Amino acid sequence: MKKIMLVAVREFMATVSTKAFIFGVLFTPLLLLSLAVLLPRLMDDAPPKVAGEIAVIDPTGLVGGAVASHLAPEALAARREDQRRRIAAAAEQAAPVGKEVARQAAESALGEVPRLRVAVLDPGTDIESAKAPLIAEADAKGDSGRLAVVVIHKDAVQRSDPSTAFGTYDMFVRGKLDDRVEDEIRRGVREAIIEARVERSGLQRAVIEGLTTVRAPDSRTVTKKGESRTNEVANLFVPGGFMMLLLLSVLTGGQYLLMSTIEEKSNRVMEVLVAAVSPFELMTGKILGQMAVGLLVLAIYAVLGISALALFAAFGALDPWLIVFLLVFYLLAYLTIGALMAAIGSAVNDVREAQSLMMPIMLLTMLPWMLWVPILRDPNGALATTLSFIPPVGNFVMLLRLSSTAAPPMWQTLLSIVVSAVGVWAALWFAAKVFRVGILMSGKPPSFATLLRWARMG
Amino acid sequence: MPDAVVLRSLTKTFGEKVAVRDLDLVVPEGALYGFIGPNGAGKTTSIRMMLSILYPDSGEVEILGRRSAQEAKDRIGYLPEERGLYRRMKVRELLEYMAALKGCEGAGLRKRVDEWLEQVGLGAAAGKRCEELSKGMQQKVQVLAAMIHQPDLLVLDEPFSGLDPVNQRLLRELVLEQHRRGATVLFSTHAMSHAEQLCDRIVMVHRGEKVLDDTLQGIRTRFDPHSLWFEPRRSEDDPASLSALDWVRAVRRDGSVWEVVPREGVDLSAAFGLLSAAMPPARIELRRPTLEDVFIEIVAGTGADLGEQSQLRATVRDGVGETEAAS
Repeated sequence: MKKIMLVAVREFMATVSTKAFIFGVLFTPLLLLSLAVLLPRLMDDAPPKVAGEIAVIDPTGLVGGAVASHLAPEALAARREDQRRRIAAAAEQAAPVGKEVARQAAESALGEVPRLRVAVLDPGTDIESAKAPLIAEADAKGDSGRLAVVVIHKDAVQRSDPSTAFGTYDMFVRGKLDDRVEDEIRRGVREAIIEARVERSGLQRAVIEGLTTVRAPDSRTVTKKGESRTNEVANLFVPGGFMMLLLLSVLTGGQYLLMSTIEEKSNRVMEVLVAAVSPFELMTGKILGQMAVGLLVLAIYAVLGISALALFAAFGALDPWLIVFLLVFYLLAYLTIGALMAAIGSAVNDVREAQSLMMPIMLLTMLPWMLWVPILRDPNGALATTLSFIPPVGNFVMLLRLSSTAAPPMWQTLLSIVVSAVGVWAALWFAAKVFRVGILMSGKPPSFATLLRWARMG
Repeated sequence: MPDAVVLRSLTKTFGEKVAVRDLDLVVPEGALYGFIGPNGAGKTTSIRMMLSILYPDSGEVEILGRRSAQEAKDRIGYLPEERGLYRRMKVRELLEYMAALKGCEGAGLRKRVDEWLEQVGLGAAAGKRCEELSKGMQQKVQVLAAMIHQPDLLVLDEPFSGLDPVNQRLLRELVLEQHRRGATVLFSTHAMSHAEQLCDRIVMVHRGEKVLDDTLQGIRTRFDPHSLWFEPRRSEDDPASLSALDWVRAVRRDGSVWEVVPREGVDLSAAFGLLSAAMPPARIELRRPTLEDVFIEIVAGTGADLGEQSQLRATVRDGVGETEAAS
């Protein structure tokens, strides 16, 4: 037992202290997390203050004044407040997504209120000469001078023939004008034109808006546990995330186990090792060591995932039992796949030879990944139920079902665990037999049939 | 005295090929045994069975009084023929790990590791990764890994191959040190000269069968060629003419020297005087049997043809040049 632990500790340390592991497994998620935390803060940095003049050439004489009032600082501030309220409401609607995050996002997307002066030029002004100041440098006080020239079309407000479309307007802007400011100007001009058109038609704006608005519905999911706000994102991505987490950690541990076994074989360390420990002790130690590696990966990504959920204030949606099941299914899935990986690693001479033997195992683990959506659409259907009892696929499918909205019956969960445990036992038995024969074999790469013969030999 | 290794009619086949046939071997405690034979004779297979790395098709193994090496692993040190290290591990860590796997731990271990590294001239390499060492240095680390836990039985499979003369001598010293400490040592080699320099008993295998098992002294007596090496002082003398002498049975040329074989019953010390009287000598020397001669003689007796004999001679002579340069 002591020797097993020695092998396990070395295996774990040798794996996690490599640069590849630190960068690939530890550094990447930490980088992602820190970006997720830092980026909004960085974007909080408001864009530079914008001050300048908007020139309007309005041959209709109906729009210019309205543009001036719509682009006045107070009007801009009011419109922004309105938008903010609407985004907050939408965020509320999308349920537990954090309000704070949404507010921050809205804030940074809008930028600071620009200080715009509107100059209505004489309708006969030459467009070219009006455009000239757009190229001029900004003065020291931060006023950019002329920012944009808006040229309203003659038929923008009144049509000569009702069957034709209304005219629009042309806009010329200074280079490097913040896109948010440009949007602001467009919105102001648009509002001014619509107002003018509505007024000319003798209608009332408020009436039209009232007629054309339908508020978003309040969608609720009805389950045995009661009603809750529908959260489609969470419904699909929380189970998917759990399965991904399981798959990722199982495959990380399994891959490292395969590689280290092949390395020991091709390095010729194997014979020294089996002179010191029995093949079974060696295999067990290696499997345990990489199990710890997988658990470390699992823990890192789980913490990352939970932090992400907490960030969106959706932590409450998580059932703590899921964490327990995640651990249980990790152990079952890892031990099955890890044992097979150890067997394959012991039987081949290099990674290339391992590929062909790995194919069936990789397909098995990819199956739930490919069937993720159909399983979630019908978590208690025939497909999902059948797959739940095939190790090691069952571990992934069961976790997917447990984290879905329609939890499977308890007996199915327990039966799946029992079936998987039997699978673990069979895989370990097979691996122990193959490992003992395989580690000292060299030459022709074995097929699965050869491995089975080795297993029967012992 | 109890026996460290007892093998009883061990047989192992790989498919059609019989690797080891009916091998009996007894190595008493404290002995220094040479296990010799050409490549492919079955040495490594025998050693692997001895250490329970392979299992025999039939026969019994008894190691250090146990029914299997599995039960005595911690008391055995083994240097396999196919050697390897964890390439990324540091030398000191590797030795400590190997010692720990053999149940050897504690405060004194690190000190011993450092002392031993110093002794073989690797003191500066303790903190380096194994992959940074040269091949010869790696081999020394492997030898230390086999001995670091002070085993009662030390099994070395072709320990000298790949080492330069200086390091061969160093290794010989290490092995003798273990032997003096009381460890039983068994090492295999296909270069007979190493066995001659080191062992007090020789086991020879050929085609999976044991063909010789005797002390070096016993072998010398048994296979005494009863002849003299002769080199004439004057270049115009033709030693071939010596065959005309009545006490001489045969004269054979072997390169620049001649082998003079006296008739049965002629005392060799008397032959010295007779020979120097017949022709002025530059050198007269008593010819002693080498393991190589013994081996060729035994193999010739088992029906190997001449081509096979010269091939065997070439394989068992491998490495002789290196050792001569060292001594």
